[in-house]
Amino acid sequence: MTERYPGYDVQAKRWTPSWNEQTREVIDRRLSMDREPRYFTAHEWPTLEAVCARILPQPSDRPPVPLAAHVDRKMAEGRLDGYRYAQLPPQGVAWRRGLKALDAEAGTRRQRRYSELSAEDQDILLRRMQRGDLDGEAWEGMPCKLFFQHRVIPDITHAYYAHSVAWNEIGFGGPASPRGYVRMGLNRRDPWEAVEKKAGR
Amino acid sequence: MSKTVVARPKVVATPFPPLRQALEVRAHPSAAVVAARRLNRAAGLIAVSVLVDSAVEHYRGEFHNKAMFTPLVLGALSLLVSAHGHNDRRPARHGGRDAVYASAALAGVAGLGFHLYNVGKKPGGYSWQNLFYSAPLGAPLALVLSGAMGFLSECVRDTRPGDAPTIGGLSAGRVVGAATSVGLVGTTAEAGLLHFRGAFHDPFMYLPVTIPPLAAALIGNAAIRRTERRPLTKAFLRFTAALGFVGAGFHAYGVSRNMGGWRNWTQNLLNGPPIPAPPSFTGLALAGLAALGLMQDHPDD
Repeated sequence: MTERYPGYDVQAKRWTPSWNEQTREVIDRRLSMDREPRYFTAHEWPTLEAVCARILPQPSDRPPVPLAAHVDRKMAEGRLDGYRYAQLPPQGVAWRRGLKALDAEAGTRRQRRYSELSAEDQDILLRRMQRGDLDGEAWEGMPCKLFFQHRVIPDITHAYYAHSVAWNEIGFGGPASPRGYVRMGLNRRDPWEAVEKKAGR
Repeated sequence: MSKTVVARPKVVATPFPPLRQALEVRAHPSAAVVAARRLNRAAGLIAVSVLVDSAVEHYRGEFHNKAMFTPLVLGALSLLVSAHGHNDRRPARHGGRDAVYASAALAGVAGLGFHLYNVGKKPGGYSWQNLFYSAPLGAPLALVLSGAMGFLSECVRDTRPGDAPTIGGLSAGRVVGAATSVGLVGTTAEAGLLHFRGAFHDPFMYLPVTIPPLAAALIGNAAIRRTERRPLTKAFLRFTAALGFVGAGFHAYGVSRNMGGWRNWTQNLLNGPPIPAPPSFTGLALAGLAALGLMQDHPDD
């Protein structure tokens, strides 16, 4: 992966006015998360990990962001979005049902569990889910398209971009608390923000 | 016919007449020079406000347009020539000062044009949002005022000792008083807009939208009415002058109240209330006091 912000490490802001004690605590807690499930069962866990790995594949030259663990904590701690599509059950129930249904689809087609499929076959199932083409009994009437759009994608991508590794990739300054930003205009950069590599250099 | 001996005026012999003249001027400057030097100080104080405020705000704007250096250059020059004028007790115009003051005033007008253009081209045009958050329309006015007060100072100074200073045939005191009144109204409008943006969250934020407009009304009134002692006008001008300094203090307190306080000064000096802005009220009030003095020293009615 080409680096857009070469040499940028948001953690270098740790002891600058950009972060205060509360910010350091929140980020430390987020980064020290263990990778074991609390909400999901040992049976559901490999399926969730497989889905995460296909939605946000990560480079092999660094420890991966523990996406499944982040999704798991959101369910375990009951951190809600503040709204819910009426056709979807509550978030934890939706995830459980969706993972179970993916395993069921994999079993019907390949006589395997979802996590045991090849990456290509996993993607085929995800794409069918995205199009709303999966309607096996295991879905119990839950629209797979809505589940994909409003559960799978947000929960996994939010988890990824809550991590400092992702901030380094996109040149984001993190919580910037208490520092904040002074140059609000488009394409303007505060002196303490990451420098983007110019195209062609 | 007897010879009458007329006592000749005693002449102090000095080997260097210009020095003597300079010493005399230094010891007894005319009322016009006193007023002119007051106006130099007023122009200089407004120039400090412009210089520091535009340096901070244009740094925030990354000097995106090279023209954004203009108020720094002219603010600094206006400050320098004001200091020069303050130290100069000769009753004559100074070409260099005149040129700088006139350029500052013109640059301020040009700056107003730039800021108008900048606000207008933002999505939404001249909406409240853009008036609040884009280039402030009132800020270049301060540079105009610094230049104008300095320019008027030169006009006042250019008066033969004993004559009443006039500007364009009008009593100089009345002209400076009217200019002060207009300047105070404009500066109040700027403070009002930005304090409204700040929801007047601190009751003291009402002071610059109440005291200076009253001072503006009083000095404006003095400029067009009969010449008389005006203690109330003087009091309000002095109050306004004090307000400028107190305001800078309040703004410093405002900076400390922003998240991170002074430790986060690189952010909060820019993001908090502008510390160098309020002293332009002081500068204008000093000009008003100079005008009041001129009117009373040289009544034209």
